[in-house]
Amino acid sequence: MALLEIRNLHAQIQGVEILKGIDLAIERGETHAIMGPNGSGKSTLAKVLAGDPSYEVTGGEVYFQDRNLLELAPEDRAREGVFLGFQYPVEIPGVSNTYFLKAALNAIRKYRGEQELDAMEFLQLIKERAKSVKLDEALLRRPVNDGFSGGEKKRNEIFQLAVLEPYLAILDETDSGLDIDALRTVADGVNSLRSEERGFLVITHYQRLLNYIIPDKVHVLLHGRIVKSGGKELAEELEESGYALFEEAAA
Amino acid sequence: MEAIAEQKSIYLQDYEAHAAQVEESKGLRRLHRNGIERFEAQGFPGRTVEAWRKTDLTPVLREHFVPSDGPGPVASGLIEKVGALGQAHRLVFVDGWFDAGLSDPGELPNGLTVAPLSASEERMPAIMWEALGAYADTATHPFAALNTAFFRDAVMVHVARGTTLVQPIVVVHVLTSEADRRAVYPRTLIVAEEASQFSLVEHFVGADEPFALNCPVAEIVAQQGANVDYYKVQEEGGGSAHLGAVHVEAARDATVHVHSFACGAKLARTDIYANLTGPGADVTLNGLYLTNGRQYCDHHTWVNHKAEHGTTRQLFKGVLQGRSEAVFDGLVKVFEQAQKIDAQQQNRNLLLGKLALAHSNPRLEIHADDVKCSHGSTVGQLDDEALFYLNTRGISFDEAQGMLTVAFANELLTPIRLDALYQYERRLLLQQLPGAEMAGEMS
Repeated sequence: MALLEIRNLHAQIQGVEILKGIDLAIERGETHAIMGPNGSGKSTLAKVLAGDPSYEVTGGEVYFQDRNLLELAPEDRAREGVFLGFQYPVEIPGVSNTYFLKAALNAIRKYRGEQELDAMEFLQLIKERAKSVKLDEALLRRPVNDGFSGGEKKRNEIFQLAVLEPYLAILDETDSGLDIDALRTVADGVNSLRSEERGFLVITHYQRLLNYIIPDKVHVLLHGRIVKSGGKELAEELEESGYALFEEAAA
Repeated sequence: MEAIAEQKSIYLQDYEAHAAQVEESKGLRRLHRNGIERFEAQGFPGRTVEAWRKTDLTPVLREHFVPSDGPGPVASGLIEKVGALGQAHRLVFVDGWFDAGLSDPGELPNGLTVAPLSASEERMPAIMWEALGAYADTATHPFAALNTAFFRDAVMVHVARGTTLVQPIVVVHVLTSEADRRAVYPRTLIVAEEASQFSLVEHFVGADEPFALNCPVAEIVAQQGANVDYYKVQEEGGGSAHLGAVHVEAARDATVHVHSFACGAKLARTDIYANLTGPGADVTLNGLYLTNGRQYCDHHTWVNHKAEHGTTRQLFKGVLQGRSEAVFDGLVKVFEQAQKIDAQQQNRNLLLGKLALAHSNPRLEIHADDVKCSHGSTVGQLDDEALFYLNTRGISFDEAQGMLTVAFANELLTPIRLDALYQYERRLLLQQLPGAEMAGEMS
């Protein structure tokens, strides 16, 4: 059984169909990249998998480690081990990063029947993980993403990923708005978290990120469908030819 | 329902019966007399009186509230609340009557007088007699007029020139179940002399059941350079009506912070008047109201900038659940001579209940031409994106809602400079919110 299996997934928002039949399977330990132009449905796919209530699933199935994912509330998907790294992480003034993560981690541990961490253990864990993704420790005490720079917000997403240790991490345009140094730091963080147990779905507009996070498979998403799948060389091909080539194929 | 004309006479009759029984000084008698005359002249406000248009007083007008004739027994749950704010110069009133047993004024430092009027009439400084009743607006506020007519005792606080108090003064007003269909008129006078500095908390608690009418009036006089923090915490039982007024008089360079926290009573209203009479005065009015069920909670403010270079900051926030209703109505008036003042006024409401209703009416009236004034108001719900973000991290909807609500309200808790009060209000906040148990340790 695959880690994630998507079959003929259809979804719409406000009556407009965005996903028009997606099929995709990710095995444990694999990293898949989804590439596509603006408006192709990349972010919609990410949000539908995480359970965003603004989207309506109109057809198809999604299985995550044998569980019917679409039946689960967003928080239960997270507790089962799905993580979404947001393209635009939300600012939450008044809630400290540390408190927020502690609530999250303990909710997940509780769901899995594991002991909640005490304050000391938790602090130790987050300090260690902050270091591993090069997140400034001062940001731990600040309100979640509030006043963070673009790079800090993205790094904070990777930091949360490192603390929550999901089985599947979906990274929605984690590279957007990052300069090359920030991009490298984020990619290093992701690479350090790759393991045999964990799958990644990396969504990006540009091939650039995939120079640092080398995918096992690349899919091209266009008009709500995957029009081509291949190895990492597909990303390079795309960089040269652009999406126009596939536009014709899809038409 | 009885006619308004009869309503007036009932209170006048009560007054006359009371006046016949009680022996009191000429000064007090004159003050009481003045109160009832002022009340008789205006009566209870109808819905046509602008300041009372949104406040449905029907339940209060339908009832005849006789002045409380003695303290009821204080239940153990309420006793706990009496000591909840820790070390303080503490006075306790039960159904309007001073309770020496529950009070603990502690050792009073030089420069501090804090005592019930009933026990200190003879030794009250002249300045206190001059100030008592000099500020409350009995001509236009019917409940301030009633209070002035009927108060039997008063908290008298005098802090002498240059005195800084280490401990706060805490005044607890308890309503017992005996206060059902009784009226209680707590009265407080605070005179902060030049360059004195201290905090005072008025804490209103009560049993769940009684339908009592509680009409407190506080007068706060801050002389030149004085620095006063005044906290009002209203968590009375769900049956009572609380209609109070707070008057602030701020002289040159005086700093006064008023913080109103309201989560109790069925019908609650606090009217705050602030007069900045000296140049450079600085007044902050903060309010946090949490309503549920069918509660009604109202804050009206009148800020009068009468002198130049004054600063006022108002921030009122509400969290509304169930079918509750809240009002914020604030008028900032800048007089012609009050140049270079800076006045801000903000009201934000968070509706957690689909049937909850918030009215917001910030107003400005400016007669000077070189001033900085701003105001704004919002009524809204929790941000869906933020809720979803928290959900994707494994945090349940209820918890996420609690967390975001605490974050919303916290802006009004962090300025509290008494740690015990900060912790206490925080607990009250958490008790009110669904799914906020976890948010208890949040910071």
